[in-house]
Amino acid sequence: MRLYVSCDMEGTAGVCSWMQVDPSDTHEYPTYRRYMTREVRAAIEGARAVAPAEVLINDSHWSMRNLLWEELPHDVRVISGSPKPHSMMEGAQAPFDGAFFTGYHAKIGDANGTLAHTYSNSVLYNVSINGVRCSEAMLNAAMLGSQGTPLLLITGDRTIVEETTAAMPWVTGVIVKDAIGYYSANSMTPASACEAIRAGADAAIRGMAAARPFTFAPPVELVIETAGVEHADFIALLPTFERVGGRAVRHVAADYPSAFRAFLVATRLAGAATATA
Amino acid sequence: MKLYISSDMEGVAGVCAWEQVDARTPHPEYALYREYYTHEVRAAIAGARELGPAEMLVNDSHGPMRNLLFDLLPPDIRVLFGNRKPYSMVQDADSTFDGAFFIGYHGAIGDANAVLCHTYTPSVIHNVHVNGVRCSEATLNAALLGHHGVPLLLVTGDRTTVEGVQRQMPWVEGVIVKESIGTFSADSISPAAAQRAIAAGARRALERRDEMGTFVFEPPIAMEIDLAKVEQADLVEMIPGFERTGARSVRFICDDYPTTFKAFVATFRLGATA
Repeated sequence: MRLYVSCDMEGTAGVCSWMQVDPSDTHEYPTYRRYMTREVRAAIEGARAVAPAEVLINDSHWSMRNLLWEELPHDVRVISGSPKPHSMMEGAQAPFDGAFFTGYHAKIGDANGTLAHTYSNSVLYNVSINGVRCSEAMLNAAMLGSQGTPLLLITGDRTIVEETTAAMPWVTGVIVKDAIGYYSANSMTPASACEAIRAGADAAIRGMAAARPFTFAPPVELVIETAGVEHADFIALLPTFERVGGRAVRHVAADYPSAFRAFLVATRLAGAATATA
Repeated sequence: MKLYISSDMEGVAGVCAWEQVDARTPHPEYALYREYYTHEVRAAIAGARELGPAEMLVNDSHGPMRNLLFDLLPPDIRVLFGNRKPYSMVQDADSTFDGAFFIGYHGAIGDANAVLCHTYTPSVIHNVHVNGVRCSEATLNAALLGHHGVPLLLVTGDRTTVEGVQRQMPWVEGVIVKESIGTFSADSISPAAAQRAIAAGARRALERRDEMGTFVFEPPIAMEIDLAKVEQADLVEMIPGFERTGARSVRFICDDYPTTFKAFVATFRLGATA
């Protein structure tokens, strides 16, 4: 079995502040990157308790070089570094038997989502595909789905896990914390979270026959509401993007990978608008 | 008569160093050269108006694009300020204009003997070709004017810049205010002499307006950009419609030059984040 793991950090047990997930932080981040890595390892161990698995891990948080090698099994591969053309889904342009999302967080604008955001927490206000407001999990699951790869497991706070399992009922969810607003959480311990993730991964693999790829039907309409007008000003420079409001742009693609890449480049370009003119 | 002026600063008489034109970390010389720059624009307006009334739109097209000193300009013009214009140095140059002036322009990136040569963002753009034509800012900008049927009438700057424009657009009146000696030195006429020459050039350009043509790129329009660095190409290749043609090069083909122009602006904005 070939298994793809995209690991983020905000949805790791205990995390409730940017400082804990900011690689430039020297106080809390070193501890939480270890917890992040251990949650990934737990997911792999849970999967391998059911069947042998070749594993590709895509470090999908911030600088995308958070994972600690010594905490991982020796036979995995890891994609590190940023930027990557498919960002949190790099490597998933090829089909896998299934995928896990660990440490995921709620989408921007969600109440009770610890550190909720969607790719950027400064330039985006909402992201929709075909009229559906999307979390990173949904955007990424559709990228997997375009290759026929089903999402099998998601771990994070209650808000993202429940939203994802409602949209994709075949996905096993592991809730490691309940968010109390944006910057606080009522969490399991890291050790308990790893046990729960191990059990969740085991169950996800056992149930994978029922899993399906998550897809958006073409044509794929991407609507980005930006945080500021200046962000939409920049995105509107891109070919095929249409300005549909002061803080809104629209892009229609024939296939989802094109829409996904357009979303990524738009977000990146919008970030450049934040600099002083 | 309605005229469009896009004014840049590197091609102003006397300018030979970035410090003289750097508005973001102002050097004492910037305050002085900003005045000379404004006076060259004023001279172009005055020269054009020797032949009759002319409505003027001046697009401050240098750096942060808020350099011109209002107090030194005629009170009845309009000025575009700010550098987040989607069409940048040729914003709002629509078909209502009878012609355009490029004042204080400079050579294309890679030009020998062109003071402070660059093409938009020198840290990102290594070369840009459209339909096989190597483009300076003047080329790219004139083609947007041409798309709207507006002829470029006058260019001022160093010899390399002016002669480069005239090779592509032989009708354009040129005023050479300096000879560049490499990238950071110049043999220049004085600001006062440059202003006189620019006023006379503007007048000559309008007298010859019937001879002027428009510069356009025929569709399909193929823009080929060499980026300065591989990591910039990594990002730029993600722009919808862009094709990676080499480690540091991309290509974009479309039928609409304004779309091409905005895609170029997106390229240097995006590339700068790498």
